[in-house]
Amino acid sequence: MKLIGLVFGTAFGFVLSAALLTDYNVIHRMLLFKDWQPFLIMGSAVAIAVPGLRLLKRVGWVTPLGGPLTFSPSTVQRHHVVGSLLFGTGWAIAGTCPGPAAAMLGSGRVMGIFIVAGIFSGILLRDAMVARATARPAAVSPEPLGVGL
Amino acid sequence: MIDLLPDRLPWFIAGPLLGCLIVGLFAIGNRPMGSLGAYIQTVSAVRGGAPEPWRVWFFGGMILGGFLVAILGGGPPAGLAFGALGEELSTPVLALVLLAGGLLIGFGARWAGGCTMGHGLCGTAILSRGSMVATAVFMSAAVAVSFLIHVVVGGRL
Repeated sequence: MKLIGLVFGTAFGFVLSAALLTDYNVIHRMLLFKDWQPFLIMGSAVAIAVPGLRLLKRVGWVTPLGGPLTFSPSTVQRHHVVGSLLFGTGWAIAGTCPGPAAAMLGSGRVMGIFIVAGIFSGILLRDAMVARATARPAAVSPEPLGVGL
Repeated sequence: MIDLLPDRLPWFIAGPLLGCLIVGLFAIGNRPMGSLGAYIQTVSAVRGGAPEPWRVWFFGGMILGGFLVAILGGGPPAGLAFGALGEELSTPVLALVLLAGGLLIGFGARWAGGCTMGHGLCGTAILSRGSMVATAVFMSAAVAVSFLIHVVVGGRL
Protein backbone atom coordinates (compact mmCIF):
# COMPACT_ATOMS: atom_id res chain seq x y z
CA MET A 1 0.00 0.00 0.00
CA LYS A 2 2.98 2.32 0.62
CA LEU A 3 3.99 2.10 -3.04
CA ILE A 4 0.39 2.79 -4.07
CA GLY A 5 0.42 5.84 -1.78
CA LEU A 6 3.61 7.10 -3.38
CA VAL A 7 2.36 6.52 -6.94
CA PHE A 8 -1.03 8.15 -6.36
CA GLY A 9 0.50 11.02 -4.39
CA THR A 10 3.01 11.66 -7.17
CA ALA A 11 0.35 11.57 -9.88
CA PHE A 12 -1.83 13.90 -7.79
CA GLY A 13 0.96 16.41 -7.15
CA PHE A 14 1.92 16.22 -10.82
CA VAL A 15 -1.59 17.05 -12.07
CA LEU A 16 -2.06 19.87 -9.54
CA SER A 17 1.26 21.44 -10.55
CA ALA A 18 0.86 20.93 -14.29
CA ALA A 19 -2.63 22.48 -14.21
CA LEU A 20 -1.19 25.52 -12.35
CA LEU A 21 -3.37 24.95 -9.30
CA THR A 22 -0.19 25.67 -7.34
CA ASP A 23 -0.20 29.26 -8.65
CA TYR A 24 -1.56 32.02 -6.40
CA ASN A 25 -2.87 34.05 -9.34
CA VAL A 26 -4.83 31.11 -10.77
CA ILE A 27 -6.55 30.32 -7.46
CA HIS A 28 -7.15 33.95 -6.51
CA ARG A 29 -8.66 34.68 -9.92
CA MET A 30 -10.75 31.51 -9.64
CA LEU A 31 -12.20 32.76 -6.35
CA LEU A 32 -13.00 36.11 -8.00
CA PHE A 33 -14.75 34.20 -10.83
CA LYS A 34 -12.20 35.44 -13.37
CA ASP A 35 -10.73 31.99 -14.12
CA TRP A 36 -13.13 29.08 -14.43
CA GLN A 37 -10.62 26.32 -15.17
CA PRO A 38 -10.19 25.21 -11.52
CA PHE A 39 -13.97 24.91 -11.16
CA LEU A 40 -14.10 22.89 -14.38
CA ILE A 41 -11.31 20.65 -13.09
CA MET A 42 -13.22 19.98 -9.86
CA GLY A 43 -16.48 19.45 -11.72
CA SER A 44 -15.07 17.08 -14.32
CA ALA A 45 -13.17 15.10 -11.66
CA VAL A 46 -16.41 14.49 -9.77
CA ALA A 47 -18.27 13.82 -13.03
CA ILE A 48 -15.79 11.02 -13.80
CA ALA A 49 -15.53 9.66 -10.26
CA VAL A 50 -19.27 9.34 -9.54
CA PRO A 51 -20.11 6.92 -12.37
CA GLY A 52 -16.73 5.17 -11.98
CA LEU A 53 -17.33 4.40 -8.31
CA ARG A 54 -20.95 3.51 -8.93
CA LEU A 55 -19.87 1.00 -11.58
CA LEU A 56 -17.31 -0.59 -9.21
CA LYS A 57 -20.00 -0.88 -6.54
CA ARG A 58 -22.51 -2.37 -8.95
CA VAL A 59 -20.17 -5.15 -10.09
CA GLY A 60 -19.38 -5.97 -6.43
CA TRP A 61 -15.71 -5.07 -6.85
CA VAL A 62 -13.31 -6.63 -4.35
CA THR A 63 -10.20 -4.47 -4.00
CA PRO A 64 -6.84 -6.30 -4.10
CA LEU A 65 -5.46 -4.46 -1.04
CA GLY A 66 -8.51 -3.41 0.96
CA GLY A 67 -11.23 -6.08 0.76
CA PRO A 68 -14.75 -5.48 -0.54
CA LEU A 69 -15.36 -1.93 -1.70
CA THR A 70 -16.97 0.19 1.01
CA PHE A 71 -17.90 3.86 1.07
CA SER A 72 -18.43 5.72 4.34
CA PRO A 73 -20.47 8.83 3.51
CA SER A 74 -21.10 11.20 6.42
CA THR A 75 -24.24 12.99 7.53
CA VAL A 76 -24.11 16.76 7.96
CA GLN A 77 -22.54 17.76 11.28
CA ARG A 78 -21.76 21.12 12.86
CA HIS A 79 -18.02 20.59 12.41
CA HIS A 80 -18.45 20.40 8.64
CA VAL A 81 -19.72 23.99 8.70
CA VAL A 82 -17.55 25.59 11.40
CA GLY A 83 -14.31 23.98 10.26
CA SER A 84 -14.98 24.74 6.61
CA LEU A 85 -15.62 28.44 7.33
CA LEU A 86 -12.10 28.70 8.80
CA PHE A 87 -10.58 26.54 6.09
CA GLY A 88 -12.18 28.62 3.32
CA THR A 89 -10.87 31.81 4.91
CA GLY A 90 -7.33 30.42 5.00
CA TRP A 91 -7.70 29.22 1.41
CA ALA A 92 -8.56 32.77 0.27
CA ILE A 93 -5.67 34.32 2.22
CA ALA A 94 -2.94 31.93 1.05
CA GLY A 95 -4.49 31.24 -2.36
CA THR A 96 -4.05 27.51 -1.93
CA CYS A 97 -5.23 24.41 -0.08
CA PRO A 98 -3.31 21.43 1.40
CA GLY A 99 -2.65 19.46 -1.83
CA PRO A 100 -1.22 22.25 -4.00
CA ALA A 101 0.72 23.65 -1.01
CA ALA A 102 2.64 20.36 -0.75
CA ALA A 103 3.20 20.29 -4.53
CA MET A 104 4.62 23.84 -4.32
CA LEU A 105 7.48 22.52 -2.19
CA GLY A 106 8.57 20.06 -4.85
CA SER A 107 8.45 22.57 -7.66
CA GLY A 108 10.72 24.97 -5.80
CA ARG A 109 8.16 27.61 -4.90
CA VAL A 110 9.93 28.44 -1.69
CA MET A 111 7.17 30.49 -0.05
CA GLY A 112 5.05 27.34 0.05
CA ILE A 113 7.15 26.25 3.04
CA PHE A 114 5.35 28.82 5.21
CA ILE A 115 1.93 27.56 4.15
CA VAL A 116 2.86 23.91 4.78
CA ALA A 117 4.33 24.86 8.18
CA GLY A 118 1.10 26.71 8.95
CA ILE A 119 -1.04 23.72 7.96
CA PHE A 120 0.97 21.37 10.19
CA SER A 121 0.73 23.86 13.06
CA GLY A 122 -3.03 24.23 12.54
CA ILE A 123 -3.54 20.45 12.68
CA LEU A 124 -1.46 20.20 15.88
CA LEU A 125 -3.35 23.12 17.43
CA ARG A 126 -6.74 21.60 16.65
CA ASP A 127 -5.67 18.19 17.96
CA ALA A 128 -4.36 19.81 21.16
CA MET A 129 -7.68 21.64 21.64
CA VAL A 130 -9.67 18.44 21.19
CA ALA A 131 -7.35 16.57 23.56
CA ARG A 132 -7.83 19.28 26.22
CA ALA A 133 -11.59 19.28 25.84
CA THR A 134 -11.64 15.48 26.09
CA ALA A 135 -9.53 15.54 29.26
CA ARG A 136 -12.05 17.85 30.96
CA PRO A 137 -15.52 16.34 30.84
CA ALA A 138 -17.11 19.61 32.02
CA ALA A 139 -15.69 21.54 29.08
CA VAL A 140 -17.43 22.03 25.78
CA SER A 141 -17.99 18.70 24.12
CA PRO A 142 -15.31 18.17 21.47
CA GLU A 143 -16.11 17.82 17.84
CA PRO A 144 -15.36 14.29 16.69
CA LEU A 145 -12.14 14.01 14.74
CA GLY A 146 -13.04 13.06 11.21
CA VAL A 147 -11.25 10.40 9.29
CA GLY A 148 -9.20 13.18 7.74
CA LEU A 149 -9.96 12.75 4.10
CA MET B 1 15.07 21.68 -17.48
CA ILE B 2 13.35 19.96 -20.38
CA ASP B 3 10.36 21.55 -22.08
CA LEU B 4 7.93 18.66 -22.41
CA LEU B 5 4.82 19.93 -20.69
CA PRO B 6 2.40 22.60 -21.84
CA ASP B 7 2.41 25.83 -19.81
CA ARG B 8 -0.90 24.78 -18.38
CA LEU B 9 -2.46 21.34 -18.49
CA PRO B 10 -6.02 22.05 -19.73
CA TRP B 11 -8.95 21.38 -17.40
CA PHE B 12 -10.43 18.63 -19.59
CA ILE B 13 -7.29 16.57 -19.05
CA ALA B 14 -6.50 17.52 -15.44
CA GLY B 15 -10.05 17.06 -14.12
CA PRO B 16 -10.73 13.58 -15.55
CA LEU B 17 -7.22 12.48 -14.44
CA LEU B 18 -8.06 13.48 -10.86
CA GLY B 19 -11.36 11.62 -11.17
CA CYS B 20 -9.49 8.50 -12.33
CA LEU B 21 -7.11 8.77 -9.36
CA ILE B 22 -10.06 8.81 -6.94
CA VAL B 23 -11.64 5.77 -8.60
CA GLY B 24 -8.25 4.03 -8.86
CA LEU B 25 -7.40 4.42 -5.18
CA PHE B 26 -10.80 3.03 -4.19
CA ALA B 27 -10.43 0.20 -6.73
CA ILE B 28 -6.99 -0.82 -5.48
CA GLY B 29 -6.92 0.01 -1.78
CA ASN B 30 -10.53 0.77 -0.82
CA ARG B 31 -9.43 4.10 0.64
CA PRO B 32 -10.66 7.66 0.09
CA MET B 33 -8.07 10.01 -1.35
CA GLY B 34 -7.26 13.18 0.54
CA SER B 35 -4.52 15.72 0.94
CA LEU B 36 -5.28 16.65 4.54
CA GLY B 37 -5.15 12.99 5.60
CA ALA B 38 -1.59 12.87 4.26
CA TYR B 39 -0.63 15.78 6.51
CA ILE B 40 -2.41 14.23 9.51
CA GLN B 41 -0.71 10.87 9.07
CA THR B 42 2.65 12.60 8.63
CA VAL B 43 2.08 14.40 11.94
CA SER B 44 1.16 11.04 13.54
CA ALA B 45 4.25 9.38 12.08
CA VAL B 46 6.50 12.05 13.60
CA ARG B 47 4.71 11.64 16.95
CA GLY B 48 5.43 7.92 16.94
CA GLY B 49 3.10 6.00 14.68
CA ALA B 50 0.73 6.58 11.79
CA PRO B 51 -2.34 4.31 11.58
CA GLU B 52 -2.19 4.71 7.80
CA PRO B 53 1.49 4.91 6.85
CA TRP B 54 0.71 4.84 3.12
CA ARG B 55 -0.65 8.37 3.49
CA VAL B 56 2.81 9.54 4.57
CA TRP B 57 4.09 8.15 1.27
CA PHE B 58 1.26 9.97 -0.46
CA PHE B 59 2.50 13.19 1.16
CA GLY B 60 6.00 12.57 -0.19
CA GLY B 61 4.45 11.81 -3.57
CA MET B 62 2.67 15.17 -3.72
CA ILE B 63 6.04 16.90 -3.31
CA LEU B 64 7.68 14.58 -5.85
CA GLY B 65 4.88 15.25 -8.36
CA GLY B 66 5.51 19.00 -8.11
CA PHE B 67 9.22 18.36 -8.60
CA LEU B 68 8.63 16.29 -11.75
CA VAL B 69 6.52 19.06 -13.30
CA ALA B 70 9.26 21.58 -12.53
CA ILE B 71 11.99 19.52 -14.24
CA LEU B 72 9.74 18.72 -17.20
CA GLY B 73 9.26 22.41 -17.82
CA GLY B 74 5.67 23.02 -16.74
CA GLY B 75 4.06 25.05 -14.00
CA PRO B 76 4.83 28.48 -12.63
CA PRO B 77 8.47 29.48 -12.07
CA ALA B 78 10.35 28.44 -8.96
CA GLY B 79 11.80 30.89 -6.48
CA LEU B 80 10.56 33.40 -3.94
CA ALA B 81 7.81 34.74 -6.24
CA PHE B 82 4.23 34.32 -5.10
CA GLY B 83 2.09 35.81 -7.85
CA ALA B 84 0.20 39.04 -7.31
CA LEU B 85 0.34 38.61 -3.51
CA GLY B 86 4.12 38.46 -3.69
CA GLU B 87 4.20 41.73 -5.62
CA GLU B 88 1.94 43.37 -3.07
CA LEU B 89 3.85 42.33 0.07
CA SER B 90 7.49 42.32 1.12
CA THR B 91 8.93 38.83 1.59
CA PRO B 92 8.87 38.83 5.45
CA VAL B 93 5.26 40.09 5.52
CA LEU B 94 4.29 37.59 2.83
CA ALA B 95 5.82 34.78 4.91
CA LEU B 96 3.73 35.80 7.94
CA VAL B 97 0.55 36.09 5.88
CA LEU B 98 1.12 32.65 4.33
CA LEU B 99 1.86 31.15 7.75
CA ALA B 100 -1.39 32.62 9.11
CA GLY B 101 -3.31 31.40 6.05
CA GLY B 102 -1.79 27.95 6.42
CA LEU B 103 -2.70 27.88 10.10
CA LEU B 104 -6.35 28.61 9.26
CA ILE B 105 -6.27 25.97 6.50
CA GLY B 106 -4.85 23.26 8.78
CA PHE B 107 -6.95 24.16 11.80
CA GLY B 108 -10.18 24.55 9.83
CA ALA B 109 -9.78 21.55 7.55
CA ARG B 110 -8.80 19.35 10.52
CA TRP B 111 -11.96 20.50 12.26
CA ALA B 112 -14.06 19.95 9.14
CA GLY B 113 -12.53 16.50 8.61
CA GLY B 114 -11.26 17.16 5.10
CA CYS B 115 -10.07 19.63 2.48
CA THR B 116 -10.71 20.34 -1.19
CA MET B 117 -9.63 16.85 -2.22
CA GLY B 118 -11.13 14.87 0.67
CA HIS B 119 -14.47 16.61 0.98
CA GLY B 120 -14.62 18.56 -2.28
CA LEU B 121 -13.79 15.79 -4.74
CA CYS B 122 -13.65 12.40 -3.01
CA GLY B 123 -16.41 12.89 -0.41
CA THR B 124 -18.65 14.50 -2.98
CA ALA B 125 -17.97 11.62 -5.39
CA ILE B 126 -19.26 9.08 -2.84
CA LEU B 127 -22.30 11.37 -2.40
CA SER B 128 -21.49 12.14 1.23
CA ARG B 129 -23.90 14.80 2.51
CA GLY B 130 -21.42 16.06 5.09
CA SER B 131 -18.74 16.47 2.41
CA MET B 132 -21.11 18.31 0.10
CA VAL B 133 -22.08 20.78 2.82
CA ALA B 134 -18.42 21.23 3.84
CA THR B 135 -17.52 21.91 0.20
CA ALA B 136 -20.31 24.44 -0.26
CA VAL B 137 -19.24 26.23 2.95
CA PHE B 138 -15.48 26.39 2.29
CA MET B 139 -15.93 27.41 -1.34
CA SER B 140 -18.39 30.14 -0.37
CA ALA B 141 -16.11 31.35 2.43
CA ALA B 142 -13.10 31.37 0.09
CA VAL B 143 -15.01 33.36 -2.55
CA ALA B 144 -16.39 35.84 0.02
CA VAL B 145 -13.00 36.45 1.66
CA SER B 146 -11.30 36.78 -1.76
CA PHE B 147 -13.76 39.50 -2.80
CA LEU B 148 -13.21 41.17 0.58
CA ILE B 149 -9.43 41.15 0.00
CA HIS B 150 -10.02 42.48 -3.54
CA VAL B 151 -12.04 45.42 -2.19
CA VAL B 152 -9.80 46.15 0.80
CA VAL B 153 -6.64 46.50 -1.32
CA GLY B 154 -8.46 48.69 -3.84
CA GLY B 155 -8.68 46.10 -6.61
CA ARG B 156 -4.93 45.44 -6.82
CA LEU B 157 -5.48 41.80 -5.86
